[in-house]
Amino acid sequence: MEVLRLQNLQKSFGSVRALKNASFALNEGEVVALLGDNGAGKSTLIKAISGVFPIDRGDIYVRGEKVSIRSTRDAMDLGIETIHQDTSLAPDLSIARNLFLGREPVKLKWLGVFAPLDLAKLRGAASALLKRVGISKKLDADALVSTLSGGERQSIAISRAMQFAAKVIILDEPTNNLGVEETHGVLRFVKEVRDAGHSVLLITHNIHHVFQVADRIIVMRRGEIVAEQTVADTDLLTVESIITGADMSALLKETRAK
Amino acid sequence: MPVGKRRSSLLRSPQFSSLVILIVLLAVFAIADANFLSPLNISNMMAFLPELGIIALGMTLLLTAGEFDLSVGAVFGLAPVVVMLLVQNGEASIGVALLAGLLLCVAIGAINGLIVTKIGISSFLVTLSMLLVVRGAALYITQGFPLKSWDQPGFFVTLLAGSFNVGSFRFYTSLWWFIGLSLLAIYVLRYAKLGNWISAIGSNRNAAVARGVPADAVKVWLFILTSVLAGLAGMISAFRISAASPVAGTGYELEVIAMVVVGGTALTGGRGTILGTIVGALMLRAIRNGIVLIGVPGLAYNIFVGVIILAMLILHALLQKNAARG
Ligand SMILES: Nc1ncnc2c1ncn2[C@@H]1O[C@H](COP(=O)(O)OP(=O)(O)O)[C@@H](O)[C@H]1O
Ligand SMILES: [Mg+2]
Repeated sequence: MEVLRLQNLQKSFGSVRALKNASFALNEGEVVALLGDNGAGKSTLIKAISGVFPIDRGDIYVRGEKVSIRSTRDAMDLGIETIHQDTSLAPDLSIARNLFLGREPVKLKWLGVFAPLDLAKLRGAASALLKRVGISKKLDADALVSTLSGGERQSIAISRAMQFAAKVIILDEPTNNLGVEETHGVLRFVKEVRDAGHSVLLITHNIHHVFQVADRIIVMRRGEIVAEQTVADTDLLTVESIITGADMSALLKETRAK
Repeated sequence: MPVGKRRSSLLRSPQFSSLVILIVLLAVFAIADANFLSPLNISNMMAFLPELGIIALGMTLLLTAGEFDLSVGAVFGLAPVVVMLLVQNGEASIGVALLAGLLLCVAIGAINGLIVTKIGISSFLVTLSMLLVVRGAALYITQGFPLKSWDQPGFFVTLLAGSFNVGSFRFYTSLWWFIGLSLLAIYVLRYAKLGNWISAIGSNRNAAVARGVPADAVKVWLFILTSVLAGLAGMISAFRISAASPVAGTGYELEVIAMVVVGGTALTGGRGTILGTIVGALMLRAIRNGIVLIGVPGLAYNIFVGVIILAMLILHALLQKNAARG
């Protein structure tokens, strides 16, 4: 079942054409890796999907329905949760407060932004969530995020995306700046997220990670999608050469033939 | 969180260490000069305290969201001057004039906030320019002369600068304003949804925006709030001393920011404490008052104040480092 489809997305920054006609689809319960060199347009693509900025042209479909995403809130309401490259957490807030940032449980709702936080519910839900994702033993819901390691922060950010039953979870370079151990933790977590029924779009430039967790691979170069393959049908060297653009024509033919 | 752990984190919190220093300072002054704790002197301190304290509450919220406002001292001067001019020229009753003065503060805060958020100029530069504009306006419309303030008793005078006696202490209604606004600010920052947003914006603006928090709108409203509180404090002060001077509040911006950071609020945003600010306001007031009593020469005041502020900041920095390690 198709959850997300992008059709001919275009986005320019002044004279830089960051996205030229990008199209692809994401199915339920699969991990798709979006690969490409620095500057290929990966972050631009996912920022367009997550409502950070509007696209110039193109259509986005969620579960077959055409949608317009004008703000990050629009994307979240459609079930698209994004964990951006430049950490998505506020270090001075507790884990619990971060998990519910922007969607705080409150009492006396009619008070609007002045409504008091339902602290008991906040803490309870946060602990339950940490337990569900298997990181409650180490982490206290009241601990400040600034006291956590990079891997723990990524896990918190991913858990937050899961808690709102997001259909699509987008991870931009989640293993950047992480140690070996932490990287494995995050990758394991990605698999668990998929097994829980979420679709994952994983942006990375580490091909080894891709072969550990992804079902399908999409490669971008200079704002375009130049290849799309299932992991089972390809190998590390082939993908590497697509990314760098070596022997492009032959590979493109191979891709198109499929 | 286990009780023991929570207690130790409270003991290590910046507002707590500020409180300890405040108590030590009060004790030192009290021992050095018996008059320090006399009803008259305490009444004096309590008369001044709310005027800067009220501004400091707004500044704490603003700093927590990652911005600050250097124009508060000038707004403190301009607002009552405008009110008094309107009244003296027979253009408005005192009530309408006060409202007009507060609306002017809303406009100043909104301009500060919109330039900072929509054009993206740092609040340092924007509010520094605003300081000059506002102070210049106050001097120009008064031709540099202080105005005699409204001194006929009435509802508004009682509301802003009325006084009452508790035993041999004499307090002003402004103390109620300060207490009431402090409670509100504590509620908003610690318990309300808005407070969560304010801290998140100051801690990592992009993260907050990515979660759908309207960061720019929140900041604009905080600039407005800070300006309005500065104007209100200026009016309270002008009513209390029955004079509105165009140079009133000169240098208050730094004094207020000092109160806030001495209390443990981070200048870099994300970590704010209203209780700390109250302690900071009391501390700076007590220092200014105490060093006079113990006979420090007038021209040397600022040396003491500066050194104590520095010492406090060093203490907070060390505690912060410790907490990060532990
Ligand atoms: N906000 C922006 N303003 C101007 N140019 C941008 C902006 N964001 C990205 N770009 C440009 O768009 C291109 C694609 O960038 P990006 O999507 O960040 O690539 P990737 O994430 O694949 O490394 C690059 O040439 C980059 O310089
Ligand atoms: Mg990128």
